[in-house]
Amino acid sequence: MTQQNPQTQDPPYPGARIGIAGGGLLGTLMAWQLAERGYRVTIFEAGSAERNLSAAHTAAGMLAPISEAAAAEPCVYTLGLHGIERWHQWLEQLGEGAKHCIHNKGSLLVAHPQDESELDQFMLDSRTLRGQPHARIEPLDGGDIQSLEPDLNPQLRRGIFLSPEAHLDNRQILARLDARLAALDVERIYNTQVVPRAKQILDTQSQTARPFCLVIDCRGAGARHCLHNLRGVRGETLHLETTEVSLSRPVRLMHPRYQLYVVPKPGNRYVIGATQIESEDLAPITLQSSLELSSAVYTLSPAFAEARILEAGVNLRPAFASNFPQLQCEPGLLRLNGLFRHGYLLAPALVDCALAQITGESESPHKRYFIEPKQALSLSRASV
Amino acid sequence: MKEDHLTLYGETFSSRFLLGTALYESPQQMCDAVAAARCEIITLGLRRQNPAAGDGERFWQLIQQTGCRLLPNTAGCKSVKEAVNLAQMSRELFSTEWIKLEVIGDDYNLQPDPFALVEASRELIGQGFKVLPYCTDDLILCQRLREAGCEVLMPWGAPIGTGRGLLNRYALKTLRERFDCPVIIDAGIGAPSQACEAMEMGFDAVLLNTAVAKAQNPVLMAASFANALVAGRQAYRAGLMQARQTASPSTPTIGQPFWHQNK
Repeated sequence: MTQQNPQTQDPPYPGARIGIAGGGLLGTLMAWQLAERGYRVTIFEAGSAERNLSAAHTAAGMLAPISEAAAAEPCVYTLGLHGIERWHQWLEQLGEGAKHCIHNKGSLLVAHPQDESELDQFMLDSRTLRGQPHARIEPLDGGDIQSLEPDLNPQLRRGIFLSPEAHLDNRQILARLDARLAALDVERIYNTQVVPRAKQILDTQSQTARPFCLVIDCRGAGARHCLHNLRGVRGETLHLETTEVSLSRPVRLMHPRYQLYVVPKPGNRYVIGATQIESEDLAPITLQSSLELSSAVYTLSPAFAEARILEAGVNLRPAFASNFPQLQCEPGLLRLNGLFRHGYLLAPALVDCALAQITGESESPHKRYFIEPKQALSLSRASV
Repeated sequence: MKEDHLTLYGETFSSRFLLGTALYESPQQMCDAVAAARCEIITLGLRRQNPAAGDGERFWQLIQQTGCRLLPNTAGCKSVKEAVNLAQMSRELFSTEWIKLEVIGDDYNLQPDPFALVEASRELIGQGFKVLPYCTDDLILCQRLREAGCEVLMPWGAPIGTGRGLLNRYALKTLRERFDCPVIIDAGIGAPSQACEAMEMGFDAVLLNTAVAKAQNPVLMAASFANALVAGRQAYRAGLMQARQTASPSTPTIGQPFWHQNK
């Protein structure tokens, strides 16, 4: 038994009680997958049922393995491909209609004429990915851009098409997951700050501890006071609504100092994101950031000028010093954290790895990336 | 030969490489690049980090773990007032009077505003700061900065992030000839060969960021720049030969047995 699953000692059997701290993306996915396997799960969430504290709520829900890998470790591509595939399977499982919450249309990188060298830099940065299975990184001219996205500014003369890249209707997915958790009788406790410990979760206000067979810490940036090396990286987004622009895939604007994207959402909505600031400040968006985001989106298509600003989101991306996620295991306690800006993209691989660790079902091929991140990263650099 | 140190505001350093801490994939990669660069001074920008609220502390801790002297900058400031405020915040947060003063005059190429730069230098030096001004290669501007009390000058090689190297060698050479104070080439360096050339010309140090952070392998590039700077400095100290119009064989031919020549 301990051989099969040394980190958690006694592997919890289906029916066992599992406590999860944090009801964001990781906490929700873990709860769902464990409840489907027959575990009795309780989630403790510091925020409300609307997940207003969770980065999963603020995020744009892009699945961009190529652009993310170009700006990070090459293994992000492999893990991201797994992510896209897994989201398809998961959405099938979530029932009728859910499968329409993922859009596999690739993504577009564009730059204004004076910044076109950014596209050359991207071609250089993505060089190692070109030989990867399924990867398409295709330079586009102005005509190609117009035929893919007719509403984009015709002055954009150069771009790059990336596939496989996709995007999720993340808020719709979170709502469907919540419905599924309710159907599976997952207990959810909101507005409650907790400290996860081995086999127990401590409510910091009432100072009462609840015992569990296994505790999973999925608090994201909320765990930064307990986890060495974990920090929050501020991100700001704008949510716009307009019927005057129609985009069918995420568009990223390359600029020497900012990389801003627009992601289409259901109901004529768009998420514009995101700033990346080394700060744990959760105060409202600054004028400077809103100028950057709105002027960038305006240059992509002047028709955005009439869009309504529905929301200005601010949140913290949880990140370790490597900006790469980790799965930390100790007896009775698992910690999943550090998804940084790869939340929806890398969550599936991290969740699968944690599930394998808990249930002992089958070893995850991605374990090496998350459990010994340093060693794994050097391996991935060598192999790609 | 006597020891060769860089002295800035009374402090001595054995490395002549100043590295920026922005644009890396991760803080870990930044720390690895700093180590490979063997640098002793690193610059960092506070703007937008809201240090007043104690935010970004984890990131500062990682930077401080490098053991380097911190040179906070006023990157992104567009007015004297903004730059002075940010310098004061940086002094408080990092307990240092050193400030890399940037006052940007143009949003697009980030060219320094020379007028505001001189004014901000005067103001900050009056407040006890040790100012390292990021300036253009204009001789008169550099004179005014010296008069304001700057003990170090930091002219650009080219606009920030362009990687175009030493664009105006004539102006830079003039600065080197006219100023005895430390002159550091700050910004615009894209390749180790360019940094090496700056050192060969007798500049005291090189400050850069993008060329390392945006390399395919930033850690290796940091090491490469470190080597280039050492090579350039050694060349400067050794004294370059003068370039000549006519060829001059390095092995004398007089006395060579003539039958070897038609082989």
